[in-house]
Amino acid sequence: MRFPLRHALLLLALVLPLGVSAQGTDTPGGEPEAEATGPGIRFNGLGRTFIQQTDLGGTLAEADTVTSETRADGEFLLDLAVNAQPNRVTEVQGVIRLRNEFGGFFGSGVTVELRELWARGIIADAVRYRLGDMNLALTPYTVFLPDEDGTVNTPEIFQPQREIIDYEEFYTGRNERRFQGGRVDFGLNFDQVLSAVEVRTFLARLRGTDFSTTPTRLLSGGRVGATSRPIGPFGNQATLGANLAYTWDDLESGDANSGIRNIVYTFDADIRLLDQDGLALHLKGEAGESIAAVRERMEPADAEPTEENLFSDDDTFIEAGLAADLKGAGLNVSAMFVNVGPEFYSAAAQSKRVDYGRALGSFARIGNDRAARRFGLFDLSRDESIYTFRVADELMPYDPRYSNTLPYGRATPNRRGVRVDAAYAPEGGPITAGLEAAFLREIRGQGTEELKDFLLVRAEADVPIGQIASLDRRIGATLGLQVENTSRGGVPVEAVDLTSVLFEAGLSAEVYDRLDVLLGATLRQSSGRDYVPQYIDFNDIRRFPAPFVTDDQESLLGAGIRYRFADQVYLTVQYQSYSYGDDATPEDDYRLGQVFALYSMNF
Amino acid sequence: MPSLSFTPRLLTAALALVVIFGATGCDHVTDPDGPRLIDTFGPFAIGDPVGADRATVDFAAGQQVVFSGTFSKQVDWVLEITGLESGAVRRIEGFSDELNATNAVWQGRTTNLPFFKQEDVEAALFVPSENSDTTRVTIAVDAPRTYPGNVFSDFEGGEDIFIGNFEFEFENAGISNEVPAGEGETFYLMRGTDDVVRNFFAGLIDVRPDNGGIFDVPTTVPEDLYFNFMIRSFETDFTIAVVQLVVDDNGTGAYELDQDAIFPFGDIEVDFEEGWRLFSKPVSELGLSEEEAQNIVGVRVVLISDANSQPTPALQVAFGIDYITFTAGSPLEL
Repeated sequence: MRFPLRHALLLLALVLPLGVSAQGTDTPGGEPEAEATGPGIRFNGLGRTFIQQTDLGGTLAEADTVTSETRADGEFLLDLAVNAQPNRVTEVQGVIRLRNEFGGFFGSGVTVELRELWARGIIADAVRYRLGDMNLALTPYTVFLPDEDGTVNTPEIFQPQREIIDYEEFYTGRNERRFQGGRVDFGLNFDQVLSAVEVRTFLARLRGTDFSTTPTRLLSGGRVGATSRPIGPFGNQATLGANLAYTWDDLESGDANSGIRNIVYTFDADIRLLDQDGLALHLKGEAGESIAAVRERMEPADAEPTEENLFSDDDTFIEAGLAADLKGAGLNVSAMFVNVGPEFYSAAAQSKRVDYGRALGSFARIGNDRAARRFGLFDLSRDESIYTFRVADELMPYDPRYSNTLPYGRATPNRRGVRVDAAYAPEGGPITAGLEAAFLREIRGQGTEELKDFLLVRAEADVPIGQIASLDRRIGATLGLQVENTSRGGVPVEAVDLTSVLFEAGLSAEVYDRLDVLLGATLRQSSGRDYVPQYIDFNDIRRFPAPFVTDDQESLLGAGIRYRFADQVYLTVQYQSYSYGDDATPEDDYRLGQVFALYSMNF
Repeated sequence: MPSLSFTPRLLTAALALVVIFGATGCDHVTDPDGPRLIDTFGPFAIGDPVGADRATVDFAAGQQVVFSGTFSKQVDWVLEITGLESGAVRRIEGFSDELNATNAVWQGRTTNLPFFKQEDVEAALFVPSENSDTTRVTIAVDAPRTYPGNVFSDFEGGEDIFIGNFEFEFENAGISNEVPAGEGETFYLMRGTDDVVRNFFAGLIDVRPDNGGIFDVPTTVPEDLYFNFMIRSFETDFTIAVVQLVVDDNGTGAYELDQDAIFPFGDIEVDFEEGWRLFSKPVSELGLSEEEAQNIVGVRVVLISDANSQPTPALQVAFGIDYITFTAGSPLEL
């Protein structure tokens, strides 16, 4: 199945001459347009220095005679971007990283590497291309990076550490994934019936072959979308799209004789039923199918090589509902019916940010018995070593305390029910808020005929206190809340009842010109029992380890100051205290205290 | 107004899309995924102990025994049927919460030789992973299973056996019931010490068919005609069993010593764990042609003492042989 890329390029070649009025599609996220600046060479980049000291304490540490209680680390880092624009339609950029670990002098701990390299431009004022490193997202079921675990609305005091994770893992905030490859985008404008047609194709290499049993893995696909012209007194308009994400192993690379195929094709629609008197009503949705297979390549001595499926799964999904935009009130509400099949597998949409199979970067083992420390808010908020942007070839492990309803984002398989979203952002109004609720149920039982029920509520609000009080200072508060409940009936051994509550609050107050005081807290409490399966063959359950039983709580508290030299240049000094406790094992309670200073500069 | 006609069309198209997508998107696999939780984490208990659907069984008449029993969850269970006289063992294993006609049927076969015989047997049911109690039931075997094939000799008496005890090294050899036979009541015990003339050779027997002529084989296709026999180890060191087929080579239709062709099965080092083992090969592997397969007139069994390894004085060597049989199409299935 190599046709998608070939056909997409063929389609592109056929469509190009038909363009009546062509336009380059916008690149979301504010990347500078190639033609926006004149020819020349520019230097920009990021400089960052941080030093931190972490102390281990608590009941566990008092009895622990093995683990070192204090650790200090940090780094000095400079990412120097060289941006060359030989003409108004071509741009090349390379980012060279110079990094020195804290305490590494005279060459020790120093690394020099190429972090990023890409070229982009516009052909004939119509077709936009990019080669090299690129960020890409299609739809939540095809190519998409699900949201992070353990936070809803990160308090500003914890933002610097999260920004480091985002920067290191190329998380853009637009659910895009980082790839290496090439893409081509273009759009066409029309005068009748259709308003615009947008086309995007891409090809990325997810990994290279080891010239042995690991084949090269590639991802290709694209999107074709068409938007009609508004018609009638109600402003009816339809946007329809077709999307494809195709992940495959090239079995001609290396000596590999087996690999995966994962085809996901979807159709999405956004039909504006009404746009009148400040009210817009949309019928929206996406539906599609996935096919996941393990293929084997056979090379008989006296015949042409052949490939056949060793294993194959396919399933479908649909998400459809109504969305209302009350423009005057700044309120956007939607209600969607969701039905994602248990065998639905989309590698580039379901791969998580956090790899719960990795070892923690700090205090990975504690206690006299050197037990592996559980992932906690402390780690999720700062440990970049547990984050990844890789595309996995089976469902990744997850921690039900942080995300159990939709651990793989909206594309989480085996879910059926209703999802309600609301966003409140009045034009010119000071307060913004959001609410997400999901009432879902499994389609297929896991280890039992009984089905789990999921309830998820996420709420967030940003309150610009300074603006409300008409103060000439930047003072703002943030709130975040996530409540999750998972339940299942059946005989006692099958029963599940797990509740988790995550609460976040943050305050940022400018007490002197550009000098901010930062306060923040993230609290989580979980209790109950569930089963977390281990997967095999994309998304089949291999086994259930021991029941996941928890009655634990953790808190991450922070206080500090920040001085903003300029918009993207600041120095912050903070103290953060983290504590973890489990009622079942109070002797293993511990806390981590961390002092750190961070200087960050974008130039 | 064009706009008024467009809206219903748009709505209709939208609803059609939803119906189509909904219809195709709601059909999923719904059987439980993964191992059953109750099997992995549920408490284990024996429900009904092992039982049998009959107290006596005649396997020769085609009867069989269906065992029953229940557990509180699916487990890996073992049903071990042991002959109280023969020591034969039939082992049936399964993963389920119930023993029934689909997974616990005994047709008289054995897992470990010897064969069952007319005797009482005890069936014991247990679950190794749960360290469970063992429940038992006893059954009387009125007649053992009749195995397919043409039996050349089962050493139950009356065979035409030439004993080649040329150097008088056999010791208490002959048809014996010293230990349970591989089949029936008796077997042939080859036992001796290579210390009269130390030359590897301790003794032999030539076994002829009952009629003294050519043995009637179930097939004459060498690749399909399997030569089977049981050898019993007594764990005596330096013991080698040589078993040979004798084929009429001079057209007399009978076995004449030193005049007919010999086809060796291959040396068998009888140093394995004490007990019976089955040996099988198609006669084509012994080198018999189709014509030769139609002219089998004897089986020679030789007791060899490995003189190169024997200490001085040489130790006694021994093995037993039983149930020499020819089967068609496949080796003798236990």
